[in-house]
Amino acid sequence: MSVEEVTQKTQDLTVDEAKPATVLSDPKEFQLKHPLSSKWTLWYTKPPVDSSESWSDLLRPVTSLDTVEEFWAIQNGIPKPFDLPIKSDYHLFRNDIRPEWEDEANSEGGKLSYQFKNKRHNIDDLWLRTLLAVIGETIDEEESEINGCVLNVRKAVFKIALWTRTTNLNALTNIATKFKQVLQLGEGEKLEFYNHRTSNSGHAPPTALL
Amino acid sequence: MIRYTEEELLQLRPTEPVKPNFDVDEFNAIIEKVKEIQEAHEEEFSHFRRRSSHHHAKPKFKHLKPKITTDEEGWSTLETAPAVRRKSVAEEEEPTIVIAQETLKVKPNKHISSSRPADARDIVADKPSKAFNAFAALESDEEEEQE
Repeated sequence: MSVEEVTQKTQDLTVDEAKPATVLSDPKEFQLKHPLSSKWTLWYTKPPVDSSESWSDLLRPVTSLDTVEEFWAIQNGIPKPFDLPIKSDYHLFRNDIRPEWEDEANSEGGKLSYQFKNKRHNIDDLWLRTLLAVIGETIDEEESEINGCVLNVRKAVFKIALWTRTTNLNALTNIATKFKQVLQLGEGEKLEFYNHRTSNSGHAPPTALL
Repeated sequence: MIRYTEEELLQLRPTEPVKPNFDVDEFNAIIEKVKEIQEAHEEEFSHFRRRSSHHHAKPKFKHLKPKITTDEEGWSTLETAPAVRRKSVAEEEEPTIVIAQETLKVKPNKHISSSRPADARDIVADKPSKAFNAFAALESDEEEEQE
């Protein structure tokens, strides 16, 4: 083979660029995953069906996730809020923070909450939007002020709340503004903020309306 | 810090189901079981629940208005329905004496001639506390003299 022929052969060669498969190109064998800023743990509170069951029996971690692909696999597999039994709760919390005010990471913070009294509300969509805002870290721009988010399914209402690390009013005001957009609330509608230190004794009134 | 907008995350949503990293069937089975128990419990206690008019039309109660008549002198009289009815019945019905046509059989009281008092308290009242014994009285006098 002459030099010209070899040169020609080399020029004809095309190197296949080995693009890794994504969840969109190959849902079963995908390699490319999009990492999240933190690991998140999904918790579920099972409604009590027996008087002997305590709070610690009912609250259980379901699974953890740290990529966008894992998030969608879990989200598409578990029941949506509207399909959950009454007295159920979903909690998505950063790292290993327990969804309890006694946890050290929560003890100095509080929760920003909104109660949807009309159960015909599109709660599935609003809860998904909350989850996306939390794992995408788009609610608090400067620091990770958000510890987690909680959904409560009750007989007459749904509640969605963000749990914060501190009670800093400036930070809370910014978070509340974005959270209201996520929940598609109107100008006149207010979020209730409960400081964990003061609200853990019975039905205390909200610390602030934002 | 890695950030994703809602739109970016939605673009990565798979169209086909992807197996999650835990036993999702077991989790869904727990939730279904809880729902079944709650439904059974709801059905069981639905009979005991007080009827609520919160979600439905309120029950209608018929309130009878009292009838008040005012005479020429200005006196008002309250006439309630039952009183009117009683009066009219009394006026319509003539007093009649009903004579029994049947012979009544009366069972005689076997104890009617008994000397036993009817009331137990009479026994206490009538019975002397102690019968007078003349001989006993004489004996007691003799004893006193001897002493």
